[in-house]
Amino acid sequence: MLAKILKKDFKRNKAIAIILFVFIMLSVLLASSGTTMMTQLFRSINHLFAVSSAPHYVQMHAGTVDRDAIHSFAAENSLVKSEQISEMLVIDNANIYFGDNPAADTSSVMDNGFVVQNKSFDYLLSLDNKRIEVLHGEIAVPIYYRQQHHLNLGDTIRVSAGSSDMTFTITEFVRDVQMNPSIISSKRFVVSAADHEALKSMTGEIEYMIAFQLKDLNKLNEFKTAYQSAGLPAKGPAIDYSLFQMLHALTDGVVAVIIFLVSSLLVLIAVLCLRFTILTTLEEDYKEIGVMKAFGIRQQHIRNVYLTKYIVLAGAASIFGYVVSLCIRPLFLSNMALYIGIAPQSILQSLIPILVAGLVFAFVLLCCTLVLRRFHKISAVEALRAGAMGELKLNTKRMPLYKSRVPSVNVFLALKDVVGRFKMYLLLFFIFVICFFIIIVPVNFLHTMQSPSFVSYMGVGQSDMRMDLQHSDYMQERFDEVQQYLAQDTEIVKFAPLVTSKYSVIGSEGALESIQVETGDFSIFPLKYSSGNAPINQNDMALSTLNADALAKKVGDSLVLVINGKHHEMTVSGIYQDVTNGGKTAKALLPYQPEDVLWYTLNADIRHGGDIGAKITEYTGLFPGVKVTHLEDYMHQTLGSTIKQIKMVTVLAVIIAVFISILITSLFLKLLTAKDYSGIAIMRSLGIAVAHIRKQYVIRILAVLAGGILVGTLMAHTFGQSLVGMLMSSMGASNIQFVTNPWVSYFLYPLALGLVVTLTTLVGTLSMKKYSMTRMITE
Amino acid sequence: MNHILEITDLNKTYSISKGQEQAVLKNINLQIHEGEFVAVMGASGSGKSTLLYTISGMDRMTSGEVLFDGQNISSLSEKALDQLRQNKMGFIFQQIHLLKNLSMLDNIILSEYFAAKESRDSIRLRAEELMKKTGIAALADRDITQASGGQLQRVSICRALMNQPKIILGDEPTGALNSKATADIMELLGSINESGTTILLVTHDVKVAAKTERVLLMEDGEIVGEQYLGKYHVDSDDVKVREEKLSAWLLKMGI
Repeated sequence: MLAKILKKDFKRNKAIAIILFVFIMLSVLLASSGTTMMTQLFRSINHLFAVSSAPHYVQMHAGTVDRDAIHSFAAENSLVKSEQISEMLVIDNANIYFGDNPAADTSSVMDNGFVVQNKSFDYLLSLDNKRIEVLHGEIAVPIYYRQQHHLNLGDTIRVSAGSSDMTFTITEFVRDVQMNPSIISSKRFVVSAADHEALKSMTGEIEYMIAFQLKDLNKLNEFKTAYQSAGLPAKGPAIDYSLFQMLHALTDGVVAVIIFLVSSLLVLIAVLCLRFTILTTLEEDYKEIGVMKAFGIRQQHIRNVYLTKYIVLAGAASIFGYVVSLCIRPLFLSNMALYIGIAPQSILQSLIPILVAGLVFAFVLLCCTLVLRRFHKISAVEALRAGAMGELKLNTKRMPLYKSRVPSVNVFLALKDVVGRFKMYLLLFFIFVICFFIIIVPVNFLHTMQSPSFVSYMGVGQSDMRMDLQHSDYMQERFDEVQQYLAQDTEIVKFAPLVTSKYSVIGSEGALESIQVETGDFSIFPLKYSSGNAPINQNDMALSTLNADALAKKVGDSLVLVINGKHHEMTVSGIYQDVTNGGKTAKALLPYQPEDVLWYTLNADIRHGGDIGAKITEYTGLFPGVKVTHLEDYMHQTLGSTIKQIKMVTVLAVIIAVFISILITSLFLKLLTAKDYSGIAIMRSLGIAVAHIRKQYVIRILAVLAGGILVGTLMAHTFGQSLVGMLMSSMGASNIQFVTNPWVSYFLYPLALGLVVTLTTLVGTLSMKKYSMTRMITE
Repeated sequence: MNHILEITDLNKTYSISKGQEQAVLKNINLQIHEGEFVAVMGASGSGKSTLLYTISGMDRMTSGEVLFDGQNISSLSEKALDQLRQNKMGFIFQQIHLLKNLSMLDNIILSEYFAAKESRDSIRLRAEELMKKTGIAALADRDITQASGGQLQRVSICRALMNQPKIILGDEPTGALNSKATADIMELLGSINESGTTILLVTHDVKVAAKTERVLLMEDGEIVGEQYLGKYHVDSDDVKVREEKLSAWLLKMGI
């Protein structure tokens, strides 16, 4: 009899068994892919950092360098293991021509540095993680440009300045431990020493990279303080090891975390479905179980029969999921393989995904065991007498049909059913909440990142045009010239010059730390502050979220800036979100010292209806060396890679959510119509057409979907927003506010999901036409 | 006299397994005239219920012709059959078959609400009137777990009467009731028949069949005999005599 029950169960619920199999399989597939990605990411980053011998601290410097002073500092400082000063020739975008493109990419926001391969550490690697060596006339190009300009080995790059011209053949693509991620707005090209010299005489500005490797990485902060207080060159940003690691991990890390979250949701769904299926099966087999108990078959024995079925199902699904994850691994690792490279496999790394698959399997079984504890509640006598599980809970009095004023009987009956048996519909409701949540969070996040107002998370106010001037000897004059021109330009409605300089601040531990402070009038292009306001008084200072965290400051706190050896007490007027420059920036109204300037920025708005593109071309032509960009382009280029990843995640989330909705709706309908078999037969015997009955099912499911969408939306805007905030906090924007496109989020997607679910219900209830009423009535 | 139902060479076969078929109804020929009260008797598996479901269009016939109220059921579409059941037929089952999530009154009015031939208020009033007539007015708001078998069967009868059917088809309507409830239900059905509604019911019970006008006997899918008892009048007829007459006939027929 036991084997007969199992056989009958599989025959009866073939489709359900397949759906459960698919869910467990997908859960395992994503869980093991997510963990593979995470473990691979950490190993690959470590591998890349080891092979390239990553620097622990890098100080960029624009201006002259006293090499002896740096050498003697390094020699005297016990923390330093090795030191290296390398020249980076920064060439303007207007002078670089990629491939066959006759025009230079002037809209690019990237700073292009031409370097020779380093000698001691910080090696620039090829795609097979070998140190790049280039000969005369050859060039190694950053991976970012390979993607951006679809470059291939053998293509050419031309550097042109005035009448001089140099053409290089691409022989390698550069994997750069410092500047790989697209969010970093500098990229390094590798040329031969001779070519570097030739280029130097042709065009560009020299910047120095003063890099250090320490004996003990844990003493990085101590070293930073020592360097900054030694009065050594520091006209430029300073970057350290942890920032390199974080920026590398960001893109793929976010994807891995999302995949892992989706997989957790799938496990949850699989378990809920199993619970629903087991309970429905027990309900249907109630009488048989009663008979078996009456015969004296031990409860444990009967329970094991049911459990065996789920052990086989979950076991097969887990193994299959794991095997498929091995097959599609390259898909998940492709971005990482290109940018970071794949580290050699370790045994542990292979074991972790298997372990995760095993954990999912164990969790599913645990849940099955817990649900099957219901066996204790089945009494043989009750089962034989009632033939159905538990007492029928009716609520006929709550919504009587004869009092109904709802014009459609179908609508009324459907709603009455949903209200009356809501506990049963909870599974579907919960699934719809999850599905809409996993659609709407990435959709809203994507829309937020693509919206022009996302610029407020980048520490700048919204403007039409942005001009960047890196520090050089003549940049101050150029800055003044641009300002004068802007002031006379009738098409410019308003503009704001901002200067970023380097200052020293007394950090949270009392040591001097360097801080980049932007000065200027912040009221022209106001920024949205997450707390407090823009600086208004001379001693006001606004901090980016990451800086406020690092300095342990909140609005109203004071901090001490050291300017020309004198202490200036400043008050934190506001905190804003900024994902640029490693997220650590500040704003104040300080008078700037030209010799401490890091870079200049000019933001401008063009009169309504003006041609922004034409204006950008005009300014680019007029002021060579000045990087003129449309603010949206600036955002697109710096966030492009992340947006691309999120787009992929969004598409994946939508596909998964639709897939889940279809599967669970089908599964639910299968079980529901089995449960309602006699009710459907009764209605049919009364001459109520199948079309009416199917309509009722569609309305029931749509009513549950509407509730799911409502709660899903609320959750997306609360929990989802916080979740994204958590992910983004490492980048410097913890307080993300979703910018939604109501048309897409609240109309298009609900409508699409509604259509999918309606179609599924219509297909799922199609078999009702073939139901044998006689069998239903007589059974 | 007008025939409400004319059945000619009705056959119904079920396929049991690949290539194997079982004939459940074999060449049934039958006429039932308007206002008649007919019982079908026979052993289990003789095809009584199948005959009822085939006549109602709930089960499709394999061959033959069923003319109901002038309409050829075999040629009707599924939709037309639905309408036919909704407008001209009433059904009473042994297992009651009321919808669990509706109250008694809601069960009675449901089909008429769908048909929407009159206002909802008038449907409700008619239903309440029927409930009063059948002695279950107090049950209107109750759910189906709060009534006895006899009361539930009265609800079923009210539901069957709501569309003022041309025929009531009863599949052992008293099969699950005690003798008192059976007698009550048969009295109710008798009065319904008195008012002109044709009734065709399937039963095992001689006491039930004895109160009908004509009794058909089925065996292995065929009508093997029929016994005319004449209209039963509660006041003037001795039911015992009718029962004995029927029993004797059944005995003669080998039952």
